[in-house]
Amino acid sequence: MTTIRRFCCNDLLRFCFRQSRPFNRNLMGKVEGQGESWHGHVIAVTIAPEYRRQQLAKKLMNLLEEISDKIDKAYFVDIFVRASNTPAIKMYEKLGYVIYRRVLRYYSGEEDGLDMRKALSRDVEKKSMIPLKRPIRPDELE
Amino acid sequence: MASKLGLAGGIPERRVRPIWDAIDSRQFKNALKLTTTLLSKHPHSPYALALKALILERMGKPDEALSVCLNAKELLYKNESLLMDDLTLSTLQIVFQRLDHLELATSCYEHACGKFPNNLELMMGLFNCYVREYSFVKQQQTAIKMYKLVGEERFLLWAVCSIQLQIRSNLLMVALAQQSDLVSGLKMLQPFCKEVLCGNGGEKLLLLAEGLLKKHVASHGLHEPEALIVYFSILEQQAKYGDALDILGGKLGSLLMIEVDKLRIQGKLLARAGDYAAAANVYQKILELCGDDWEAFLHYLGCLFEDESSWACETINTPINPPRYVECKLTHLTDEVFDSCMENASAFVQKLQAEASNDSLRNPYLAHLEIERRKCLFRKNNDDNLVEALLQYYSRFGHLACFTSDVEAFLQVLPPEKKMEFLDKLMKNSNSLSVVPTRALGQSITLLKTEELIGNMFNLSVAELEGSAVQMAELYCKNLPLSKDLDPQESMHGEELLSIVCNVLVQAVNCSSFGCGLWFIVTYLVHVLVVHPYFPPKKNLKTIVLAVLLLCLKTDGKRIEETDEPMPMWDLSYGVASFPLACKWFLAFQGCFLVHFQHSCLKLKQSSCSAWKSVNLAKLSFGTSFDSKSLIITGLFWRTRDLGYFIEAIMVLEFGLTIRRYTFQYKILLLHLYSYFGALPLAYERYKSLDVKNILMEAVSHHILPQMLASPLWADLSNLLKDYLKFMDDHFRESADLTFLAYRHRNYSKVIEFVQFKERLQHSNQYLVARVEAPILQLKQGADNIEEEGSILESLKCGADFIELSNEIGSKSLTFNEDFQSRPWWTPTTEKNYLLGPFEGISYCPKENLTKEREENVRGFIERKSLLPRMIYLSIQSASVLYKDNSEINDSLADPKISTELKALLDRYAKMLGFSLNDAIDVVVGVSRGLKPYEVFGSDVIDWLNFAVFFNAWSLNSHDSGQQGGERTPGSWHVVNSLLENYILGKLRAMGPLIQSPQGDLPILVKLVTEPLAWHGLVIQACVRTCLPSGKKKKKSGSTDQSISLLSNAVRDAIQSLCSVLEEVAKWSQDQIKSPEDNKIDLLVSSLKRNGGAGKVFNILETLASSPNETELGDRISQALRSWSPVDVGRKIVTGQCRVLSEFWRICESKIKSLKTLKQQIAQV
Repeated sequence: MTTIRRFCCNDLLRFCFRQSRPFNRNLMGKVEGQGESWHGHVIAVTIAPEYRRQQLAKKLMNLLEEISDKIDKAYFVDIFVRASNTPAIKMYEKLGYVIYRRVLRYYSGEEDGLDMRKALSRDVEKKSMIPLKRPIRPDELE
Repeated sequence: MASKLGLAGGIPERRVRPIWDAIDSRQFKNALKLTTTLLSKHPHSPYALALKALILERMGKPDEALSVCLNAKELLYKNESLLMDDLTLSTLQIVFQRLDHLELATSCYEHACGKFPNNLELMMGLFNCYVREYSFVKQQQTAIKMYKLVGEERFLLWAVCSIQLQIRSNLLMVALAQQSDLVSGLKMLQPFCKEVLCGNGGEKLLLLAEGLLKKHVASHGLHEPEALIVYFSILEQQAKYGDALDILGGKLGSLLMIEVDKLRIQGKLLARAGDYAAAANVYQKILELCGDDWEAFLHYLGCLFEDESSWACETINTPINPPRYVECKLTHLTDEVFDSCMENASAFVQKLQAEASNDSLRNPYLAHLEIERRKCLFRKNNDDNLVEALLQYYSRFGHLACFTSDVEAFLQVLPPEKKMEFLDKLMKNSNSLSVVPTRALGQSITLLKTEELIGNMFNLSVAELEGSAVQMAELYCKNLPLSKDLDPQESMHGEELLSIVCNVLVQAVNCSSFGCGLWFIVTYLVHVLVVHPYFPPKKNLKTIVLAVLLLCLKTDGKRIEETDEPMPMWDLSYGVASFPLACKWFLAFQGCFLVHFQHSCLKLKQSSCSAWKSVNLAKLSFGTSFDSKSLIITGLFWRTRDLGYFIEAIMVLEFGLTIRRYTFQYKILLLHLYSYFGALPLAYERYKSLDVKNILMEAVSHHILPQMLASPLWADLSNLLKDYLKFMDDHFRESADLTFLAYRHRNYSKVIEFVQFKERLQHSNQYLVARVEAPILQLKQGADNIEEEGSILESLKCGADFIELSNEIGSKSLTFNEDFQSRPWWTPTTEKNYLLGPFEGISYCPKENLTKEREENVRGFIERKSLLPRMIYLSIQSASVLYKDNSEINDSLADPKISTELKALLDRYAKMLGFSLNDAIDVVVGVSRGLKPYEVFGSDVIDWLNFAVFFNAWSLNSHDSGQQGGERTPGSWHVVNSLLENYILGKLRAMGPLIQSPQGDLPILVKLVTEPLAWHGLVIQACVRTCLPSGKKKKKSGSTDQSISLLSNAVRDAIQSLCSVLEEVAKWSQDQIKSPEDNKIDLLVSSLKRNGGAGKVFNILETLASSPNETELGDRISQALRSWSPVDVGRKIVTGQCRVLSEFWRICESKIKSLKTLKQQIAQV
């Protein structure tokens, strides 16, 4: 059974496990930034193994994009992903995200992170999706 | 304010910045130096003092920090001309909060707000203080003041949220006063409980909130969607659904930008208002827009049936994994109404199915199942339609991993024969699997999972079970090439198969390779007779032998399979481990067995009572339930374990992890298998690899914590408890800050949720258990050194707080936040572990809801355990004050207070064990003298032995103890010594090598040594300390000398007794540690290579690993297969077990050493 609804505290106690690490079958996001970098940020998106391969992640992402676009009037949505996480990168690309920039040693000072972005209706010229040419360091993140 | 002018607390910012920089980079010494300089220039600056306090607190000097803070506070109050800025106050607030003095921070802000009544920043700070203190009324008053001052929407909503929290808290208190039951109290908090709101000021408060909102809307409108949602909830709580609907349909409704969100609110309001027809239409719209919204469908049905139950609200006690279906009321419907509702629903669902745009939309098809389910529930006569619907669902979604969890709720309404019919039909379908390989694999897995879910596996014979496991393993191997190109992080196709194989193997363990009920009976009989802590006396030997022979006769001379195994020299001290083996030998060589049995029995100690009980028990099982199947499913399920299957289950999972190391399901299964296998370090390693952090600790640590609590792995246990308690305590300290964040971010609906969530965690059963277990662990660790133990007890306020917890726990409602669904079915909860037996004849994999029973158990456990620190403290005191200055009090014993308190606690402890104090004393004395069997202790044996230890300590310092045990001191000493000695040695003799007898009694042995024996050791240490001559003491009188000599004799005996027990335990551990590793590994691996029995699945996997087809499987999988080594797994198990034994040995050795020192000391007396 599936119902897409708002996240609540008790959901923190209902778990599925993401790869080796336990995590929620959920999507967590927030809005942040100033001016044209006001954007929706995906903190985590995970689907319980039982419910994978049903395009649920796509549905969750679409909903977050809709909320960021209509309610929060954000310019774009972004998500950070481990450079080694090929399946996730492929999935986000399918959903219309591009690799905007590489953040060096973003994960525990070891692995690079990729900042992937998708422009929303407010960013008419899709400026937020023009990839940066050089990688940046975590301390350069705004 | 000052800070805006480049001033911080009245001091130029450039002077302050370096201090903050130093604090941020944790250079506290430097920061302190800079602050001292600053203070020399601004000696009366509260801000500079606040900074100093902050640094001192961070440096771990709480007392100094508090005193500096209080100085700053005084200055703030005294000097009228000083600045009263938020920076100073918030800095002080941080320190006060960290020092657990929220009230001081609040009073500072109150004072400041009194002086500057129109300062918004200060008022927000004050509001924040009240949020931290959960002072809802004051929060409301402050918010209203702010609202009046600036007229902002957010402050109005802060006030309204505070009102809602007040109503909630008032109701809670009323409920508690009326019912003394938090659960009922919280149920009353559901928003639709209108009658409770009356008479508690609730209605007035709601009217006030509504009035404020109405007025604001009229003048300013509303701008935040969250504000509108709060407005709706205020109206809903007053049942003003019509008003809410008007607002939703008006201009304000446009604040809700997402159409379905709006419809969901509208549907709910209409249903609550009783306009079910309109509500049903709204839910239809939702389902048309959002086809996969299961909750909306349930609400839709609820509307059709005019049934409110689908809107039930969550309380803090709502289980974290609620059942997959909702209760529904159908009895109020007539046949006609029901039929027409069903017709409408079916028509709508068919429309949804026709319109479904993609193949993965399950909801419309699940909806059809739900309709059939309700038809079954209403009429109970059309099960066939439901079976048909389930088959259709399988043909569409049978390949999905969620199939079984989807259909679980629907299967539950079917009678067993219909379930089987469904399964049979599915099996017939298995010939027509999809042509797409991944889909066909999914379908095959679903069949197996459904079989497991329905419980059919329990009806299979051992050969069938093995066949099934082999089939699964083959399927896994065959489909491995499908995962060739997957990323290592992606789930593999067919991954679940190995988990099911593991479950089947675990189950297979219950069946013997003999496949005959007799095997179980004999095993059980021998088990009862021999594993008993008291062995049967010679005079009853005939009866026992007769019983065994009778048993054999009853089989009508049925030939029992022979085994190839050589007859060993069976020694009873070899223990429980060899039972299955012993029974095989017995069956093969009955005559020899009896001779050996007789020989061994001759060596046994006396206990007529327990032996008789055993024989009667054996007769009973023999006489009443000879049917092999019922015996398998009842008490004997796990007693007849064949280790090979266990090792095979472990190997299967380790094999799976070699190929894909991320599969958490394998890790959890392994964690439990290793725990059972006595290889706890391996279990802990698997647990750690799950990377459990933060709130996950509350939900997931149940997998490991109970085993660790009974283990000698103290360092790991200590970390586990420390991390968990730190997270929880930090959360309790900081959760109010999160609530304030929700206020600030205008996320009003989260405000109440956060408060509710904190309450849920505060009532966590696991948290309370950990709070009690953590200090007990400390006490165990320090028990070999009385001085160290003294300081530990001092840091625990001599156990006083725990006594309070023990007093309170009875009226506390507990929450269970553990995610039990992640546990394997053979260990559904921490209390229920079917590996340990007995398995109680259930027809399918159990996932019982045992909350009520568990709550009782946990309460009792905490109530008892939290008395321990105080009882240990008092016992030490009792033994320490003995004879001190007793010349002045004329040979009576010292400190009556200690004696009285200890007696009162003993009385309570005895009551918790179900006895009066005198009866409990009779029980321990009776058992120690062999007049009563150990069985009277039941499963509370540790508590009983603790009781005996504390009783002895009390006897040392009591007037009336003499009445209990004849001679005062030696009597009670003897009771404890003999109880500990007989019980521990009895256990030890009944235990076999860990490698052959997983689990067994090692945890209880560890508990015996580290709890009652350790506490007794402390009493001895205290006595030795007291007996030792110290130069300062006055010369003792003659009678004192005599008493001391009596006591020192008793202590000498006790030391001797404990020493000899510990030496035997240490020797037992050491023997096992020393036994050659390779032999043990051989034993494990060879158990998989016997003819017959375990090993078939293992062979399939071995074959695959020995010659992987690289082209089919790809590099990564082939490489992983080549690295597979079962011997390494065996070695890990052996090493893991050895570490447990070594830790236990180390504990015993440390105790022996301490006792030997005492022995030398007491020899001088």
